[in-house]
Amino acid sequence: MADRYRPDSEPTTRTLLQRVLDTADLRTPRRRRSRRTLAQRTFLESPASKRLSSQTKTTTRRRSHGARSVVRLAHVQANGDLEEQTPRTLLKNILLTAPESSIVMPDSVMKPVEVSKVVQSSRQESSQGSLELQLPELEPSLTLAPGLPAPGKRKQRLRLSVFQQEVNQGLTRSQEPPGNADVSSLTSSLSLTFATPLQPQSVKRPGLARRPLTRRAVDIGALLQGLRDNSLASAPPADIVLEDTQPFSQPLVGCSPSVHHSLPHPSHIGIEDTERAVSHRRQSIGPGQQSHKVTEAVGSQEVMEARKSKESSEDEDTSGRPAGPELASSTPDLLKTKQPHQFLEPPSLPPGVAVLSSEPLESMPVRLPPRPRTAGPRHHQDPYKAGLSYYAKLFSFYAKMPMEKKALEIVEKCLDKYFQHLCNDLEVFADHAGRKTVKVEDLELLMRRQGLVTDQISLHVLVERHLPLEYRQLLIPCAFTGNSVFPTQ
Amino acid sequence: MAFSTTVAQKKHVKRKAPRGFLKRVFKRRKPHLRLETRSDLLIHLNCLLFVHRLAEESRTNACESKCGVIKKDHVLSAAKVILKKSRG
Repeated sequence: MADRYRPDSEPTTRTLLQRVLDTADLRTPRRRRSRRTLAQRTFLESPASKRLSSQTKTTTRRRSHGARSVVRLAHVQANGDLEEQTPRTLLKNILLTAPESSIVMPDSVMKPVEVSKVVQSSRQESSQGSLELQLPELEPSLTLAPGLPAPGKRKQRLRLSVFQQEVNQGLTRSQEPPGNADVSSLTSSLSLTFATPLQPQSVKRPGLARRPLTRRAVDIGALLQGLRDNSLASAPPADIVLEDTQPFSQPLVGCSPSVHHSLPHPSHIGIEDTERAVSHRRQSIGPGQQSHKVTEAVGSQEVMEARKSKESSEDEDTSGRPAGPELASSTPDLLKTKQPHQFLEPPSLPPGVAVLSSEPLESMPVRLPPRPRTAGPRHHQDPYKAGLSYYAKLFSFYAKMPMEKKALEIVEKCLDKYFQHLCNDLEVFADHAGRKTVKVEDLELLMRRQGLVTDQISLHVLVERHLPLEYRQLLIPCAFTGNSVFPTQ
Repeated sequence: MAFSTTVAQKKHVKRKAPRGFLKRVFKRRKPHLRLETRSDLLIHLNCLLFVHRLAEESRTNACESKCGVIKKDHVLSAAKVILKKSRG
């Protein structure tokens, strides 16, 4: 077969149809061989080859026998192709078998064969030429109605068959460009027949022609999905806003509704506390700003927050915010720049912080009048606050969630209370042991009472878990060479 | 053989314990007591565990209220529970 040696640039319908044209009337020998091959391998080709074989039996005899040699070659090819079973080979086989409906003979038999091989074969035997053309087209259309796979495809076949009847009757086979051979085209019998065999093949076996198509579709879909997921999950809002490319428009649009859904929550929950939340969300909304509705929602949220602002710091933020919506509606970039500004405002809240932190400080001097004061409130506050903020930062690390600055201040207050409790307890324990020095045993007793150290979890386990190596070496006695243990007990 | 307290290769400890801070705090509150050299490390460990529990609890509170951000009230309610737990 010439088509065999022809370089297969692409297994497009066009090329396939061309091959069909070249390999006209390959039915008779192909039929037999195809049967055998079918017996060997019942796969995609089998339905098509079966149909073709049944058709070839009856029709090819009458039609022409000149292509036997060619058919043999094709058959050989088919055998080899079947074994290979690539889409290309499958399509080739289809083309080889398809020619029944090629120019030489308008084969509506191709279509009916898929539907009901038996019926078609019988029909073929009965009719010849135009009759064959018509009957198989008509009968398969009739037989299509009784139970046959793919009713949707049956409808197509019906239409095709009807149309083909008209066409075949009126015209000789006109080789339509292969491109029309797709389902939509009804002009050429070849195209029609080509389309129909393809469909049942796809129905019975994963479609030969459709395989590459489905692959591509899935890949694109998966790619878009992956893009969406990445844009939603990993990329921080700023990055998304910066990128702002068209491919991301879809994922952003996709995520904007999700963000939009999250938007009503802060409005419902607690607007007075949603400053930070809104600022956070606005960052997340940044990418979604491409969708106008999101910006409008943001603007509405900001307005609501502007109403509910209570503190001066909040006023500062809200004063920035009303300007925000205008910018938001205009461009997302401006909003993006605004967000960092607004974020800068909350951190620089010395008055608010001082107000909040002064409360515990005042309690301290009241409680500790006899304590020697080293350098007054400033000395007390700065390093003390620094130490507490160190632990507050650890809190934000452990929480793994975004936090408000006010929440961090509350954490610091908590820590202060905790230190009070801690020192009192240690004093009690040391006193109970008759000592004036707090030792490791006192700490262990404290942790046991707190429920951190249990029978299952020992102190050493906790030390190993949470402390760095240097401290572990200091705390856990370990044996060294020379019969020495460090730290000594 | 005494083991050196510092590693030869790198002297940079991640998450250093604020030993001076802890000692100062203890001294401020209980000047009549003394703190052993290694016990402040354990105090640091205790602080870490306390903060850890607090963070877990406040994260749970925030997730229960379906918030993506930890808020004051989450921390407050968590602190109530954990401080009660941490009372020796």
